[in-house]
Amino acid sequence: MSIVALGIIIAIKVVVILAIILGIGAYLTLVERKVAAHIQRRPGPMVVGWHGLLQPLADGIKLLTKEDILPSSANFLLYNLAIVMALVPASLVFAVVPFGPEIHVFGYDIKPILTDVNIGIIMAFAFGSLAVYGVALSGWASNSKYALIGALRKAGIIISYEVVITFAALGPIMLAKSLSTYDIVMAQIHQKVWYIFLQPISFVVFVFALLAETGRVPFDIQEAEAELVTGFTVEYGGMKFGLFPLVEWYVEVLSLSSILTVLYLGGWSPINIPFVGFVDPFFFLGPWSGFIWFIIKVTILFLLVLWLHWTLPRYRIDQITTIAWKVMLPLALFNILITAFIAPLLRG
Amino acid sequence: MQASEKTLNEIKLRIPYVEVKKDKLISIVYVQKELLINTLKTIKEDFGFKLFIDHSVIDTLEAQNRFEAFYILYNVDTKERIVVKTKTEHSLPSIERLWFAGKWAERETYDMFGIHYEGHEHLVRAFMWDTYSYFPLRKDFPLQGYENVELPSLNETVFGDNLTGTMNYRRTHTYVPTLKDLEYTEKNRIKKKAQVVLNWGPLHPGTHGTMWFLFDLEGERVVQTDVILGQLHRGVEKLAEHEPYQQFLVYTDRMDYISALCSNQAWTVAVERLLGIEDIVPLKAKYIRTMMSELQRINSHLLWLGTYALDLGALTIFLYAFKEREKIMDIIEGITGARLTISYTRIGGVRMDLPEGALEVIESFIKFFPKELKDWEKILSRNRIWLKRNKDVGVLTKEDIFFYGLTGAVARGSGVFYDIRKLEPYDAYGMVDFDVPLGENGDCYDRYLVRVEEMRQSVRIIEQCVQKLKTMSKNEPFMAESQDPKKLRLTLDGIGLKVPAGEVYSSGENPRGELGFYINSKGGLKPYRVKIRPGSFYNLCVYPHLMENRYVADAVTILASLDPVVGEIDR
Repeated sequence: MSIVALGIIIAIKVVVILAIILGIGAYLTLVERKVAAHIQRRPGPMVVGWHGLLQPLADGIKLLTKEDILPSSANFLLYNLAIVMALVPASLVFAVVPFGPEIHVFGYDIKPILTDVNIGIIMAFAFGSLAVYGVALSGWASNSKYALIGALRKAGIIISYEVVITFAALGPIMLAKSLSTYDIVMAQIHQKVWYIFLQPISFVVFVFALLAETGRVPFDIQEAEAELVTGFTVEYGGMKFGLFPLVEWYVEVLSLSSILTVLYLGGWSPINIPFVGFVDPFFFLGPWSGFIWFIIKVTILFLLVLWLHWTLPRYRIDQITTIAWKVMLPLALFNILITAFIAPLLRG
Repeated sequence: MQASEKTLNEIKLRIPYVEVKKDKLISIVYVQKELLINTLKTIKEDFGFKLFIDHSVIDTLEAQNRFEAFYILYNVDTKERIVVKTKTEHSLPSIERLWFAGKWAERETYDMFGIHYEGHEHLVRAFMWDTYSYFPLRKDFPLQGYENVELPSLNETVFGDNLTGTMNYRRTHTYVPTLKDLEYTEKNRIKKKAQVVLNWGPLHPGTHGTMWFLFDLEGERVVQTDVILGQLHRGVEKLAEHEPYQQFLVYTDRMDYISALCSNQAWTVAVERLLGIEDIVPLKAKYIRTMMSELQRINSHLLWLGTYALDLGALTIFLYAFKEREKIMDIIEGITGARLTISYTRIGGVRMDLPEGALEVIESFIKFFPKELKDWEKILSRNRIWLKRNKDVGVLTKEDIFFYGLTGAVARGSGVFYDIRKLEPYDAYGMVDFDVPLGENGDCYDRYLVRVEEMRQSVRIIEQCVQKLKTMSKNEPFMAESQDPKKLRLTLDGIGLKVPAGEVYSSGENPRGELGFYINSKGGLKPYRVKIRPGSFYNLCVYPHLMENRYVADAVTILASLDPVVGEIDR
C-alpha cells in the first residue's frame, strides 16, 4: 500500500468519523428531547418538520445567529480556548474506536478504526482526562462565581472518576492481554465471550463512571440548574454555549459508550452465548452486520443514559466523591483481584 | 381557641401587675413596657405559650404612648391563644432571646413604624431599602406615598393626561430604590465571615421567586446566610386600611398567589368572626369553601412537589405534577371563572353556586388522583438518591419549631400537632373527618412525606364534601342573609358592610403555614389596622439557621422543603 493511498484512506476516515460524530451529536439533541418528552407524557418538538425532525437545524441557526457576548473582565484567550479544549479531546477519543470488523474495499483491507495503536485504551482515557481543562478554563475565564463553582465540581468529579474508570477498565484489559481496542474486541470474539459476563462488577462501575464523566443525572451537579443555573457554561452565549452540552452530553456519552461497548459488549460482535458462540440475525449483511451491531449497542447504552437522566434525582457533590473513593474504587480493585485468578483460565 | 378565663386568672395571680381582658374573640394581657420581657418569659416558660405567632404595633395617633404593640402567642398543649399588649412612644425591648421569629417581626415593625428595638442584634429594614427615610405604615404616611420630584415624568404634563390623584399612576410614583441604594443595602448586612460571597438571587431559579440570599462560602460549605427581602413588597397592610373589608379580598389573592382560595377563605372567616356571623353562613357555602380550599391545597402542594423534585434534579416529576395541577386549575376555572387570583369567597358565603356538573368533574378527578400520587411516590419515596439528599438534611427539633415560630407542614414535619383546621375548625372542617400527618425526625424527608400525605387527606376531605353537597338541593342559599339589613348589610359586592368596633385574630391553615389576620376595627367601612401573619415569612426565618455548615446543594433542598412564596413574605 503506497503512502498516498494510506494518506487518502486516513483522510477519508477522519472526515467520515468527524461528520458522523458531530452530525449525530446534533441530532441526538432531538432524540434526547423526544425521549424525555415521552417519558414525561408529552409529544416534544412537533412544529419544525415532521415530528420536529428539522428541530436541530433550527436550534443550530438560532444559536449561530445569536450575538457573541464576552463578559466584562473575562479572559478573552482562555474563554475561547476552553471551547476548543472541551471539543477536541472528546472528539479525539473516536480515533481509537473500532466500529466494525476489517472490510475489503477497492482492493484494500481497511480496518474501520482511525489508528489501531497498541495503547488505544490508554489514549482514550488520556483524552477523557484532558476534558477537565476545558471545564476548568471555562469556569475560571468566565469571571463568575457560579461558573467557578460548577467548574470546580466538574473537575472534582472527573479527577475522582478517572481513577475509577481506569481501574475498572483494567479487568477487560487483563482478560484480553492487550491495550489495543481492536485486539480487545478480537480477543472477545476468539474467547467466545463478552467480558460483561466475566466482569459484571467492573461493568457497573464503568457505567457509573460514564454517567459521572459525562455529567449525566444522577451526577449532573456541575449543571444543577436549580443551584448553579447552568454551572460553568453560565457566561457563554450562542453557539459557544451550545457546544458545551453538545460535547458533554452527546459526544462524550457516545465516545464512552463506544469504549464501553468495546470493553464489555464485544464491540461489533453479534449476540453472544457465553463460551458457545455468536448468533447473528443479520448474517445476510456479511461483514457489514458488525457495524449494525455496534450501532445497536451504542444506541441502547445511550437510551439507558437518557432513561436514567430523565428519571432520577441528583446526588450532592460530597456524596458523589464519597461514592467514587469509598465504594467504586474498592470495588474496582476487588474486581482486579478476581480477574487475576480468572485471566489465566481463559485460552488466549 | 382563645385563652380561657381560668388561664387568664392564673396569669393575673402569678403576675399581679398585668391587666387581663377577655371577650368572645380575643384574650388580652396588658402590661407595662418595662415589664414586658419578664411577662413574656413567664407566659412562655411557666404557662406553656411557647409558639410565637406574631408581633406588630398599631399606630393609635394618640399624643402619649402613640404605638400599641401586640404579641400573639400560642400554647400547643392546651390549644390556647393569648395576646400580650403594651404601649410605647417609640421604642420596645427586643424579644430575640425568647423567640428568634420575633427578631424578624421586629425588623418588619422597625421598617414600617420606625419603632426602635433595644438589644436587637441587627436592626435593619426588612422590606424597604436602607436609605429610605419614611415609615410607611404610620397613619400619617399618605397612601399614595410622598412624590418623588426627581422623576421627570412627575413634572411634565403629558398631553391628554387628565387623571388626578391616585388614579394617575404616572404621577404618583414614590421613591424607588436606585442601584446605589441596593448596593448600600447589600453592604449594610451582617459582617461577612468568609472570602467568597455568593449572590443567590434576587432572580435565581432556585429561590422560587425574588428572594435575595447571600451565602458566605468556604469552598462549597455555607458559613453564613443572609436574607434580603422586599423585592415584591407592595404594602398590602397599608392598602387594607384604605379598602372596605370585601374589597381587600382581592389583595389576599395576590399574597400567596399559589393558594389564593385558602387565603380568601382565611380573610373571609376572619371578618365573619369579627362580625359574629359565623353561624348564619349557610352550610352549603361552608362546604363549598372547604372543598375548594382543599382543591387549592392539592394544587399548591403539587406545585411544591414538582419544583422540589426539579430542584433535586428529578425533572420528570415536575411535568407529572403540573399535568395534574392543570386539571385542578381547569376545575377551579370552571367553578369560579379564574385560575390564579380567584376571589371566590364572599363575607357571608361564596360568590356563586356550583355550576352544573362540577361535582362530577371533581369526583372523577379525586378518583384518579391518588393513583397518580402512588406512581410518583414509587419514583421518589424509596429512591436511594432521594433519601440521601433528604434524610438528615435541615433537621428541626420541636424546640426549633417554637423558637422560630414555624407553622404548617414544617411544624408538622417535626411532630408538632399544629393544624388550624383541627385546633380551631373553621367552615366545614369541624364536620369532616381527616387525619393530620406528623413527622418524626423533622428533616426534609419528613416534610416531604407530610405534604404528600396531606394531599391524600385533602382528597378525603373533598370526597366527604362532594357527598354532602350532592345531598343539598340547588335552591339552598349560598350566601348568608342578614336578619336586619339596616344594621348589617351582606351583599355579594360587599358595599356598605359596616363592621362594629373590636379586634380579632383569626387564622386559616394555608398550604404554607398559618395565615393569620389580626383585624383591629374602630367601626365603619374600613379596618383600622390589619396585620397579616404570613406563614412563609416566619417559615423562612429559620433558613439561615438550617444553612449553617451545609453545602450549596442543600440550599435548594432546604429552601424548597420550607416552601416559601415571596408574595406572602413581602406582602
